[in-house]
Amino acid sequence: MKKQYLLLLFVAGLLTFVSACKNEAVYKTLIITGQNNHNWKASSPVLKQILDETGMFTADILITPEKGGDMNTFNPDFSKYKLIVLDYNGDSWSEKTNAAFLEYVKNGGGVVVYHAADNSFPAWKEYNEMIGLGGWGNRTEKDGPYVYYKNNQLVIDTAAGKGGSHGKRREFLVRARITDHPITKGLPVRWLHGNDELYSQLRGPAKNMQILATAFADSAKGGGTRRDEPMLMVISYEKGRIFHTAMGHADEGGGPAMQCVGFIVTLQRGAEWAVTGDVTQPIPWDFPSAAGVVLRPDFKEMKLDEAMANVGSYDIAKSTKYFSYVQSHIRNLAGDEQGLLNLEKMMVKVLTSNEATVEAKKLLLRELSWMGSDYSVPAIKNLVSNTELKDEAEFALARLQPVK
Amino acid sequence: MANKSSRREFVKRSAAVVAGAIVLPQIIPSSAFGMGGRIAPSDRIVMGAIGTGSQGMSNMRDFLRLKDAVQFVAVCDVDALHLAKAKETVNQANKNSDCRTYGDYREFLEKEKPDAVSLALPDHWHGIIYSEVANKKFNVYGEKPICRTIKDGQTIVNTVKKNNIIWQTGSWQRSLPNFHHGAELAINGRVGKIKYIEVGLPDGNKCIGTPPIQEVPAELNWEMWLGPALKVPYRGVSHWDWRWILDYSGGQLTDWAGHHVDIANWGAGLEHTGPVEISGAGVYPVEGIYNVPVEYDFLCKYANGIEMRVANASRLPLGMGTTWHGDLGWVHVDRGNKISASDPKILDEVIGENEIKLYKSENHWQNFIDCVRSGKPTIAPIEVAYRAISVALLGEIAMTTGQTIKWDPDKEEIIGNPRAGRMLSRPYRQPWTLPTV
Repeated sequence: MKKQYLLLLFVAGLLTFVSACKNEAVYKTLIITGQNNHNWKASSPVLKQILDETGMFTADILITPEKGGDMNTFNPDFSKYKLIVLDYNGDSWSEKTNAAFLEYVKNGGGVVVYHAADNSFPAWKEYNEMIGLGGWGNRTEKDGPYVYYKNNQLVIDTAAGKGGSHGKRREFLVRARITDHPITKGLPVRWLHGNDELYSQLRGPAKNMQILATAFADSAKGGGTRRDEPMLMVISYEKGRIFHTAMGHADEGGGPAMQCVGFIVTLQRGAEWAVTGDVTQPIPWDFPSAAGVVLRPDFKEMKLDEAMANVGSYDIAKSTKYFSYVQSHIRNLAGDEQGLLNLEKMMVKVLTSNEATVEAKKLLLRELSWMGSDYSVPAIKNLVSNTELKDEAEFALARLQPVK
Repeated sequence: MANKSSRREFVKRSAAVVAGAIVLPQIIPSSAFGMGGRIAPSDRIVMGAIGTGSQGMSNMRDFLRLKDAVQFVAVCDVDALHLAKAKETVNQANKNSDCRTYGDYREFLEKEKPDAVSLALPDHWHGIIYSEVANKKFNVYGEKPICRTIKDGQTIVNTVKKNNIIWQTGSWQRSLPNFHHGAELAINGRVGKIKYIEVGLPDGNKCIGTPPIQEVPAELNWEMWLGPALKVPYRGVSHWDWRWILDYSGGQLTDWAGHHVDIANWGAGLEHTGPVEISGAGVYPVEGIYNVPVEYDFLCKYANGIEMRVANASRLPLGMGTTWHGDLGWVHVDRGNKISASDPKILDEVIGENEIKLYKSENHWQNFIDCVRSGKPTIAPIEVAYRAISVALLGEIAMTTGQTIKWDPDKEEIIGNPRAGRMLSRPYRQPWTLPTV
C-alpha cells in the first residue's frame, strides 16, 4: 500500500515535470483590475493575452468592486496563484486583503506591477516597498527619493518635489542598464518603444530594487526631465519577486504602447522571472532595436509558415518583415544542415512560384547565394534567362560554385 | 557660345598647358622633375581626387590646409553637384579656373598623371578603383574601410605592394597624440601583458523604412554610383546613407573598425595578423531597406591568446573607443583627446629609449605628403588597414551565419565552413570585375 502511494506520488511528480518542460500553462496567474484612471477594460484582456501567449501562464482576470464600492467583498485567494499582475489604481483594499497580499509576496509569490499600478496605494508602506518607485497620489520627498540615471550614472535624488509626471506621448528609446539580468540578457540594449507615456519623476523607497532599463525624457519632445527615467525594475521583497514595468499605457485594443514587441516581451520575461527567478523564453526574432518600433497588432509572434506564405508578396515600399523573419531563421538554424535544407526548399518554392514578386525573389537570391546548396542551383540557373532576375541569379550562382 | 567650350576641349587645353610647362609650372607632376624617381621637396605634390562627397571634400580641405604641400588639378565624381563644388574649391585654392572634372574614373585614370590621388568612395567601389589606381602607380590617400570584402582587400593590398606606391589610409586617429600615447603604453606593457581588448563603435540608429522608387536626381549618375553592386532602383538613398545597406557597407561596424580596431591592433602588436576564431551576434532591423546590424557584439580570439571584443558602444562599460586590458590594469582612448587608465599614473609613464617607439605623425595628411616625397612608409599603410577591417568583416560573417568562424590569418581563409567562405567575396555585376594584380 505504502509502495503504491509512493509510486503514485512519483508518477504525479513526473507528470508535473513533463508538463513544465512542455511549457504547458503551469503558472496560474491573477490579473487584478477594475479601478484605474487608465483604460483597464482595454488593458487587462491584453495583459491576459500576452501572458497566455507564452503557453507558460494561464491568467484569470479579477475585477474589483467599482470605485466607492464595498471593498470588503474583494477577497481573492492569492495563494492559488503563482503570479499576481496588478492593473489596478483605485480604492484601498481591505486590511484583510492587504495582509493576505503581503503574506503572498513574503512567501515568494510573483508580482507584475503594470504602468499605473505604481500610482496606487500611496499610503500603504509595504506596497510602496514592493513597487520600489511610484508616482502621483501626493507622493513627495516623504515617500522616498527620485531615482534615475544622469550621464550614465545612477542618481538617488532626495530633492523635494512631487512624484510622477509624463510629457507628451511619443515613441522613445529604451536603454538597458543591467544586461546580465535574466530578463534583459540577450536583448538589444537600445530599442524604440511604441507611442507611450514616458513616466518620469517616480519616487519611492527603492529598497532592494534594480533598474533594468531607462528611457531619456527629452525635454525637446514635450515636457521631459532630461533624465534617464526608470522603465523596467525588479524588486525583491522577502521571498517575493516583483517585476515593475512603467510602460504600456493602454488605448482601445492595447494600442502601440502595448502592441510594442519590447513591451510584450519584457512583460513575458518579467512575469516568468517573478515566478521562478529565471527566464527560459527565447529572444524572439522581432524584438525591436534602435532601428524602429516593432508592433504585434495581434500580440502573437510570427511563425515560419506565416513568413513563408507571405515572403513572396514583398515588393518595393511594402513591409520587409517576412523576409527579415527568414533571415533571422537562417541565423537560428546555424549548423543544422537538415533545417537549412528544409528552409532552402521552401525558399526555392517561392523562387519558382508564379505568384511571388520579382523583388521578393531578388531578396531570396541574395540569401541563397551564401546559405544555399546544390539543391538551389537548377532553379537559379533557370532564372538567368529572366532579364529582371539575371543579375541576382548570376550573383547567387557565382557564390554557389563549390568553394575550394 | 564663344565663351563656352566643351569639357573635352577644356581638358585638351589644360593638357596642352601641362605640356607647355611655362604658363603654370606648378601643375606639372613633381615626379616629372625626378630625383632618383623621387620628388623634389620644394615642389608641390600634384593631386587628383576621385570621390568628392562629404569625406572626399573634407580630405581635400585637409590637404589644402597644408602650406604649399599640394596642388589639386583634377576631380572626379558621379554627382555633378559634388563635382562642381570640388572644382570650385580647387580653383579657389589655385586662383585659376583650370581644375579638370570627370564623371567617370576610367577617363580620369586615362588622362591624368598626378603624383597622388585622394580616394573617398562608397565601400563597394573600393576593390576596383583602389586597385586600378594602384596599377596606375599613383600614390594614394585612401579612405577606410579599405574594402567591402576580404577578397577586395587582398586584391588592393597586392596591387599596392606590387606597384610599390605610397599608401596612406584615412585612419587619421593614428596621427593624434592621445591614440599614439595609449597605443605606446599598451605595446610597452604599461598595463602588463595584454589579455583582452574592448573596442566600442557607434550604436545604430533609427531606419527609414521602405521608401518608394524615386526619380534619380538629374545630377547623379545612378548606374555609375551602383557600379559593381547589384542593380536596384533609386529610392532616395545614395550619398552618406549607403552605409546602412549591406550591398555597399557593413554599417557603423565596418565604418569605424578602420579607426578603433586599427588603434587596438596598433597597441597590441596585432597589425599584421588576424584572429583565429570569431563568434558573436548582431541585432538587425525588422523593417525597411536599411539592413546593417543596429547592434553588434563579437569576440575575436588570437593565436597568442589575446581576445578582442568588438561591440556597439552602449554594450560596453567604457562606451566608444579602444581599451587595452593587461594583467596590471587598463588604458582607454577615444576621440575628443580622451585617454584614461585604471591608475592615472600609468598615463604619466615615459617610454624609454630602448622600448618600442610607435611611428609618430603630427598630421595625417602631411605625413602622406612627406612620405610621397621621401618614399618612406606612411603611418597607416595598406596591410595594417586591411587587417583592421578584416576583423569587422569576419565579425559580420560570424553574425550573419550565427556560427563560430575559424580563420587562418596567414592563409587568409575560413576553415571548414564553405557557407561562411562564400561571404569572403561579393560577385560583381557585369561588366565590372576586380582588376588583376
